[in-house]
Amino acid sequence: MFETFREIRWDYLFDFELAADSLPFLLEGLQVTMIIALFSMFFALILGMVIGIARMSKYAVLHLPARLYISFMRGTPLLVFIFILYYGLPVIGIEFDSAVVAAIVGVSLNFAAYNAEVVRSAILSVPKGQWEAAATLQMDYFQTLRRIIIPQATRIALPPTFNIFMDVVKGTSLASVITVQELLYSSRLVAGRTFDSMTMYITAALIYWLVCIVIGYFQDRLEIRYNRYLTN
Amino acid sequence: MITVKNLKKSFDDTPVLKSIDLQVEKGDVVCLVGASGSGKTTLLRCLNLLETPDEGSIRIGDKEVQFGEKPLTKKDTKEIRHYSGMVFQGFHLFPHMTLIDNITEAPLTAKEQDKDTIMQEAHALLEKVGLSEHKDKYPDALSGGQQQRAAIARALMMHPDVMLFDEPTSALDPQLVREVLKVIESLAKEGQTMVIVTHEMNFARRIADKAFFMGDGYIVEEGPADQVLADPKEDRTREFLALLEDE
Repeated sequence: MFETFREIRWDYLFDFELAADSLPFLLEGLQVTMIIALFSMFFALILGMVIGIARMSKYAVLHLPARLYISFMRGTPLLVFIFILYYGLPVIGIEFDSAVVAAIVGVSLNFAAYNAEVVRSAILSVPKGQWEAAATLQMDYFQTLRRIIIPQATRIALPPTFNIFMDVVKGTSLASVITVQELLYSSRLVAGRTFDSMTMYITAALIYWLVCIVIGYFQDRLEIRYNRYLTN
Repeated sequence: MITVKNLKKSFDDTPVLKSIDLQVEKGDVVCLVGASGSGKTTLLRCLNLLETPDEGSIRIGDKEVQFGEKPLTKKDTKEIRHYSGMVFQGFHLFPHMTLIDNITEAPLTAKEQDKDTIMQEAHALLEKVGLSEHKDKYPDALSGGQQQRAAIARALMMHPDVMLFDEPTSALDPQLVREVLKVIESLAKEGQTMVIVTHEMNFARRIADKAFFMGDGYIVEEGPADQVLADPKEDRTREFLALLEDE
């Protein structure tokens, strides 16, 4: 055990020069990562809102499809779903313009299910008295939802939504397996060429981490804003 | 103003209202009293259809609805609610809005009046309930008594023909009860029609024209408030009032 430990080549752990030299190339990959992540999160939020509200409907035509959707998307690996979209659909004659589009579609549709559950639980956590007060003031369902319920539900939904956003950013790395040249793919290219996997993947990991730190900063800012009406 | 006939309501299989008849005239201040579980809050909540009765009918203003034959339409519900305003035990102010936004939200979305008129009225109402200086505060920064006064102003903004109060002071610390009762009393003096579920017997005796004593899903006794609440005919009413005296 001790012998093995002594054999570790610490000098190979991280090659700063390689990391610095390949950084511009990796940042190009990061751009693609962020494009996929931002578009996916945007669509996943909108779709998640619609599906989450449909899931709460008393009408079976709305809540049954919503339940089925959420069940399927949460129950299948994102990578498998992306394979179905990118390698499966062309078999039946449906082809995406580019792998990036396929990745955005895959990530959006998959994470919409998670967002739907966040939306649902956040809306349900707003006290029933808020609905009743709005009803006695003759506000209709969508006015109440838009003006009274959603602003309060947003505060509750912020932390889990930002969890999902970080998962989306990291989940885009799966697009590398369908040839999208995003951050992980770029890192792998350099790793393959230089035979220094350690440096390249650590660099990639640090870049993902940094992006998530920035996202976390925005989360803090938004939470402060949405908590301003509470005294403690 | 309000006519309730043969109203019945069960939750699951438990009957809560067993054939209620009740009449409220315009300008009346009516108190519903009775032990908890007697159905008074449910009755009040049926008047604005927060609960849907199983059977019977409610007429309020010019609108009459029959229950039990066909399901309520959204239009029925809307028209019935148009006549009443509600004040809840737990206030239910909108926590994410300042007081002034709380009370102007509904009238501004209803768009029955122009904005200037609504804002003027809102300021006047806040002045009346003594909250002008707090108009830009959020509910969470106010005491329960202040929140409840704001909730009353919010309901009044919709010009209801009838104000419904569901135990408006039960959630308040004792020292805050009086300021809320004073606001309600001033409305009574202005001739506002009101139905009040309350345990404040002295208050009820002072301001109510009529009192209904409920027990077990029925109206056990009704009559002028000072008679029902001071010199009741029915044993059950007497027992209930005696229990309150003991407290």
